Amino acid sequence: MKSWKISGSPHKGQAAGGATGGIAARSSSADGNFDAMSKQQAAAISGPRKQHSALQGYSPLRYMPPSRSASNDSNALLKQSRRSSHSNNRPTGGANAGHSASTTSFTTDGSGKYFQDLDEDWSAVIDDYNMPIPVYLNGGSAGTADSLSRASTHSYPQLPNLTGTGSGSRGTPGPAVVPETRTPTEIAQERDVQELNSMMARITKFNALLSSKHILNVKELRQLSWNGIPKPNRPKVWKLLIGYLPANTKRHESFLQRKRKEYRDGITHTFDEQNHQRDIPTWHQIEIDLPRTNPSIPLYQFKSVQHSLQKILYLWAIRHPASGYVQGINDLVTPFYQIFLTEYLPASQIDEVANRDPAMYMSEEQTVQLEADTFWCLTKLLEQITDNYIHGQPGILKQVKNLSQLVKRIDADLYDHFTNEHVEFIQFAFRWMNCLLMREFEMDVVIRMWDTYLAETSQDSSVGGATTGASAGADLSAPTTPAQRTVSTFQTPPSKIRTEATVGASPSSPLSVRSFSATTAVTKTTASGAGSDDASGTRQSSSLNEFHVFVCAAFLIKWSDQLCGMDFQEIITFLQNPPTKDWRESDIEMLLSEAYIWQSLYKDATSHWL
Amino acid sequence: MNNPVTSIKLVLLGEVAVGKSSIVLRFVSNDFAENKEPTIGAAFLTQRVNINEHTIKFEIWDTAGQERFASLAPMYYRNAQAALVVYDVTKPQSFIKARHWVKELHEQASKDIIIALVGNKIDMLDEDPTERKVAREEGEKLAQEENLLFFETSAKTGANVNEVFLKIGENVPLKQAADGSNNGSGLNVRRDNGWIWQTRLIQPRKPLTVAAESLVVLITKVHISFPERFRTEYGGVAAWAVNLCKTVSWNQP
Repeated sequence: MKSWKISGSPHKGQAAGGATGGIAARSSSADGNFDAMSKQQAAAISGPRKQHSALQGYSPLRYMPPSRSASNDSNALLKQSRRSSHSNNRPTGGANAGHSASTTSFTTDGSGKYFQDLDEDWSAVIDDYNMPIPVYLNGGSAGTADSLSRASTHSYPQLPNLTGTGSGSRGTPGPAVVPETRTPTEIAQERDVQELNSMMARITKFNALLSSKHILNVKELRQLSWNGIPKPNRPKVWKLLIGYLPANTKRHESFLQRKRKEYRDGITHTFDEQNHQRDIPTWHQIEIDLPRTNPSIPLYQFKSVQHSLQKILYLWAIRHPASGYVQGINDLVTPFYQIFLTEYLPASQIDEVANRDPAMYMSEEQTVQLEADTFWCLTKLLEQITDNYIHGQPGILKQVKNLSQLVKRIDADLYDHFTNEHVEFIQFAFRWMNCLLMREFEMDVVIRMWDTYLAETSQDSSVGGATTGASAGADLSAPTTPAQRTVSTFQTPPSKIRTEATVGASPSSPLSVRSFSATTAVTKTTASGAGSDDASGTRQSSSLNEFHVFVCAAFLIKWSDQLCGMDFQEIITFLQNPPTKDWRESDIEMLLSEAYIWQSLYKDATSHWL
Repeated sequence: MNNPVTSIKLVLLGEVAVGKSSIVLRFVSNDFAENKEPTIGAAFLTQRVNINEHTIKFEIWDTAGQERFASLAPMYYRNAQAALVVYDVTKPQSFIKARHWVKELHEQASKDIIIALVGNKIDMLDEDPTERKVAREEGEKLAQEENLLFFETSAKTGANVNEVFLKIGENVPLKQAADGSNNGSGLNVRRDNGWIWQTRLIQPRKPLTVAAESLVVLITKVHISFPERFRTEYGGVAAWAVNLCKTVSWNQP
């Protein structure tokens, strides 16, 4: 039971939170259970990674006895303004210091009194006390969201403990509590080694999956890919995930040959001046847009690249007359092109792909292959978001609306501030939807983001593939009332985590289970949701537009504190140039994790908002 | 005391790739980028300019040019006090599009909107004068017919760009409180031809009584003084005041 000391502290906070009327009133402003899972909580859940880096020598497995902290006056701490607690809990890059501060202050629940509380109030609802259920369960009482979320900052670092020991001693948290004897340097070194190990393990895992002689396990591939795909595997995995390559490896060769021939024929026919009347405005439009596509990346300034992309985009446009070429599609084609291009470079030069002219190392035949693969994958991607580009762009308008409704529920303060400042979501979010946030991030971050997007949302075309979930079907298959949904939503995440604890043990088994870093645990948690089965055994994949809205929400709310202090002009200017230049893969992973958590909470609710 | 500040909401419209974003970039940052990414949706920028001891703050919405995004445009020009309709002097098609925009603005935008017709990319004529496909006279003619300001500019060299905005600043009528984003009321002064107009900025949603009345009186005075200029230059204020009388229920003292 020891590990519950920390997780229990919310209860204490609950009382305090109720006493400070201001806090209670504010968080109860919106409706129902969903609101209680505030942005802070989600941040806290996905937060441990940052905490981990902030607290040198912190081990997720180490139990910190409450007596260690000095202050008893937890009530005073809980009365801190809500705003300041936000900034502490939010996993923004700069908030590390704040994290450690808040962490220290909230281990202050020294009294044993709270065990009583725990027994009295929680024993009824905790069916598996190994899991941080209280965060979810108590989310229902709006007035306590605040204090709960603070405490959850603590309860969550315990997670690695739970998943890590999942193979054996899950029932008894006691053994996980180990005295820490290593120095910070040793820990840092060990962590590096672990990271390297885990990377190697991932590559091995991918290679093993991809080298299957018969039918690839696409489902497992999705699970793995959610957390990022190793560079050498990326071209092939993307083609599989998006449903271009079939899962049956025996068919790969013939399939590719056929698709590449199809593309070649299409090009021949289209550019045959006698048989085909060229759509001059479209051709011209694409022509003027290409030099200004990714202007900061040298690759896209090469004539050979522009020529290839022009053919791809033009062919796509005339084959999809309902939408035709829309600006933004020129952005969407580039990750595919750039990634598939790496197939033609020696492994050691993959990182150079953005700087080298393909004409220097590709044969004409290879160029056509590359164009064909890019074309078909672009087609697959755009199939999922056709509504974004047809007349009136209804898909985008709907997403923008969903985003605003989502933010209204997750971060009412921010939403109200926008309303007061007359900021309309469409003023900044239109581009987010039209270009899938590509304009907001550097290319490597976008590519990492796409790993998850493709893993999370694409459909398999594979015959006998492992996945059965269909994005549209998922909603229809389980019609539930909002009330039922609430229950299932709050209970599902722990069960998912539990599933993953056993499943996830296998890839990581080479590592010392005990020394699992918080980072690994977090990504695992999120991956579990994305990849693993839910209770009914059907994979709940989401549509691209749907998941993207959650990512946008996470992205917007990331800046909530700053935005709430800005006026109209500052807000719009800020959101047009968000400070993401220095973002690394870990930052985008954090964002995707947050998005995932929100999706698991709000997904089925969104249909009721419209 | 600081100069009084008036905000002018300005929108840029025009065919794709005529240089709308480049004009704004030149005006706001005095900069030029050869390959600027196509604008998606719209971009927002601001710039302050001092005119006649008066500070004007331009709040600029730079819209996307592609036809597909055109349905968004009304959202941006609806409350605009000024518009730049931009075309490319080397692309006749873009001039046709400019006509459409002028027409649409006259039909849909607020009645008093100041429109500047801008032929961009005149730097391209320096290299090769035969590049010009839209004669200066054509632009002037359209401007005259439709009562527009007219300029030919180069965002690349910066020629004439600031002049467009300065001229607009001089021509925009009294601050129209009805679409001001300013919070609360304040005193706004504008000097013009030796006259000093004063009006109170009013939050549109608040009930107006005395202020509205006095404004109507002021408008009437202006009307009497400058009947011929009234329609064009001060028409916006008048229209606003008339609207006010219709929509706001206020008790006569």
